[in-house]
Amino acid sequence: MVVTFAALAVTGLALLLRRTGGGDTPARIAAVAANRLPAHRQDWGRAMAAELTQVSGRARRWQFVAGVLRVMLFPPPRHPARVLAAAFGGLLPAVGATVAAATEVPSLSVFAAVAGLLLGGYATVAASRAHRLRPTVPRVAVGAVALAGVAAAVAAMVRIAVAYPAATIDSTHVFSVLFALALTGCLALALSPVSRAGPVDPASPANAVLSWALAGALASGAGLTAVAVTTPVTTDGTTSLLWPAGAAATLAVSAGAAATTRNRLSGIRAGLLTAVLGALMRFALDLTAILQVHHYALTSPYDIAAYAHSGYPSVASYVLSDALAGGILGGLVLYPIALLVVAFLGAAAGAGLRQLGARRTSA
Amino acid sequence: MTRVRRPSAQTMAVLQALAERPDQWRYGYDLCTQLGVQAGSMYPILIRLADRGLLETGWETERAPGRPARHLYRLTGAGRAYASAAAAAAPATSPAPATSPAPATVPRQSRLQGT
Repeated sequence: MVVTFAALAVTGLALLLRRTGGGDTPARIAAVAANRLPAHRQDWGRAMAAELTQVSGRARRWQFVAGVLRVMLFPPPRHPARVLAAAFGGLLPAVGATVAAATEVPSLSVFAAVAGLLLGGYATVAASRAHRLRPTVPRVAVGAVALAGVAAAVAAMVRIAVAYPAATIDSTHVFSVLFALALTGCLALALSPVSRAGPVDPASPANAVLSWALAGALASGAGLTAVAVTTPVTTDGTTSLLWPAGAAATLAVSAGAAATTRNRLSGIRAGLLTAVLGALMRFALDLTAILQVHHYALTSPYDIAAYAHSGYPSVASYVLSDALAGGILGGLVLYPIALLVVAFLGAAAGAGLRQLGARRTSA
Repeated sequence: MTRVRRPSAQTMAVLQALAERPDQWRYGYDLCTQLGVQAGSMYPILIRLADRGLLETGWETERAPGRPARHLYRLTGAGRAYASAAAAAAPATSPAPATSPAPATVPRQSRLQGT
């Protein structure tokens, strides 16, 4: 998984660097970093990138670029008090949630602590980078869907922890940390500004990306809900057959967004957002559906053999623990990564179709 | 007398370097080389000083072909007063910032457009 993430990060960086045009690698990195700064610091990004032209010597250039990256990652906040308030505002609920979890559902205390710290850290970073981010309908709607998805996923997990505590015991803490990382990542992706702050314009690329992602997520959600309501409940969940549907939604959204905005990265972003929002809904719906099962039974010979030595106090705990691990690793981590590849393909197809259409029109 | 909150040693060094010739515009990289401060520390200092209204910034209008305009910096009136007050408030035993004898290379004829 680490290798997959690293490969994706390197591919993304290579794509970004390729788009920046001339200059050596430090110059390209500086140009990318300058564009990644918050809108109210873009001038400083251009200033640093321009200054690099005066730096000679490979070691000195790389050293200078390291400084540019540092400023990009941690730009000085315009309102330090606001950042401090966000840090405290994030820390207090984190401590409260951890204490509450340790008291009420001890098996979720590690998840609560990690999620609280990650969300508090995200709030702090967002407060230091944000500058008068104007709320638009697509931005608010995508944020609301993401928050609802995260809340539903956590609620499903808490319901299982309360009803079957043994199912959520995670002695290695790997799944607790993965769950917290996945939820924070989903929220960060949904709530982070798509492009630099600008005037409210319904036709702007940022709004187009968010609108496409919202349409894809709502279509996925409607499909998932329809299947969950109409399909008989089993211990395998109800939405496992919808992977192709999720892939199709991601493909369509990434192609549509890339063609509309004439920007491949916008298409990838919209497709990934669709995949992530759909993954949250799928996770919550699947676990909620499995919780409705009245009689848990093992049908696979492997599970029957494994259960005897598993130490779980009931079949229900064993089944739910298995579903949770699969939902976190497969549904919230691997599923979005797989659909990211689909989003790359969709965005390439959308950009290609757009170019083809433009050529035909001009010819 | 208003009490001046003492800035960090690096910020103090930047203020002193800018206050040496307060009318002259300076480049960011030249300040880095003069003071031995990395860009990752220098630019946050410059950004904070500009946010506080202590630093005036501008872009070159006359530049060599083939390279982008460079950003220029000099202290504002408030910045000069702050630099003087901070220097006066600094204890005599405080260590002097590391400086290099590299001369400033800012062209005097630079004309600026506001940022």
